[in-house]
Amino acid sequence: MAKETFKILICDDSILVRKKLKEALSLCSTFEFLEAGDGQTAVDIYKKEKPDLVFMDLVIPVKDGITAVKEIKEFDDDALVVIASSSGTQENLKKAIKAGAVEFIQKPWEQEQLENVVKKFLKKGE
Amino acid sequence: MFTQYFGNYLLNKGYLTPKQLHEGLEQIKDTRLKLGVLAVNAGYMTAEETEKVNEAQKKHDKRFGELAIEMGYLNEEQLEELLSSQKLGHLLLSQVLVDKGIMTLQEFEKAINEYKRDYSISDEEFEAIQKDDINEIVNKFTKFEGSKNETILKDYIALFAKNLIRFIDREAVITEVTKLEDYECQFAALQDIKGEISLATYIETDEDSFIKFASKYAEEDLTSLNEMAEASVGEFLNLHNGIFLVNISNQGIELKMTPQEVYRTIKVDNIYKVSFDLSFGKINILIKEG
Repeated sequence: MAKETFKILICDDSILVRKKLKEALSLCSTFEFLEAGDGQTAVDIYKKEKPDLVFMDLVIPVKDGITAVKEIKEFDDDALVVIASSSGTQENLKKAIKAGAVEFIQKPWEQEQLENVVKKFLKKGE
Repeated sequence: MFTQYFGNYLLNKGYLTPKQLHEGLEQIKDTRLKLGVLAVNAGYMTAEETEKVNEAQKKHDKRFGELAIEMGYLNEEQLEELLSSQKLGHLLLSQVLVDKGIMTLQEFEKAINEYKRDYSISDEEFEAIQKDDINEIVNKFTKFEGSKNETILKDYIALFAKNLIRFIDREAVITEVTKLEDYECQFAALQDIKGEISLATYIETDEDSFIKFASKYAEEDLTSLNEMAEASVGEFLNLHNGIFLVNISNQGIELKMTPQEVYRTIKVDNIYKVSFDLSFGKINILIKEG
């Protein structure tokens, strides 16, 4: 059965980033958004809500982004987690891929990058 | 950025009054740059030679460049280069001042030469500085006395200036670097950078400038120092530090950063305070080496 609305979890400690990311993604399609301000809350929400896609910052309180990605992937090996961070160092890139992230977007993002992620991972009818 | 530096230099050296500088900067956009100022700035002609050409123009119906070549002051190649050169801000300012009779071309020539000498600027460095090469400006005009990481701090500040210009205010200008033993911040976003090099970094300002800064970065009209304003300034610092970490990672140094926080009234010690003038106020970036 075709899926009507995808659920996206945005994890970033900045209320501004969460707002801007929601606005930018809403230009691509209509989504249901879930929000977390730290890594632990993101893991808890993921387990409860099973969102279709996660945008995860790396430098966040309580539990950092890489640990949160690992825990989400342990819970659900099919989880799709995109890292959106200003700190796209080689080391962070390697860690993110090893943890199971499917994409790494360096802030500030371009609208086209978000559109590509949405097209690549969220296909209607799947 | 260099336009403001040169303007302030003229002010400090007594060539101008603050009112004249302000009016000169206001009129830059309506000014047509003439070959005389360009030729003196490039060091191809002296002010005296340009005056001789101007005098000759009164007798012969010829263009300045044509006469300058005939009189042996310029060659074809130099003229071509001057005609195709960029409209640099400090030259437009100088043109306004010369046109208004505030400065003579001789004084402009003297000021340019004094400027290069006072700051030990080579012709090559001046070429970069006058084109607003921020790395060169920061390298030449900032000093982090006593720091064991001065090159890295200069890179950090040059990047900060570029990010300010890119995201907040095209008119951002570095005004001074001071080393302070004690300082009380009014409103500050803080983020620590840790690793081989440890830095505590702060963006600090007064309430009004904090809100205006936050509004610019958030691209929203924020009117009070609320959660969104704090998030905005904090995120700008986070973005800047993230890019800095990427740059330094490319040099083989891996650093980490902590989540950003915002404080109201916090005392700090042993910091470098780098001040910036913005079109809507002043901000400081504070750096404490670990």
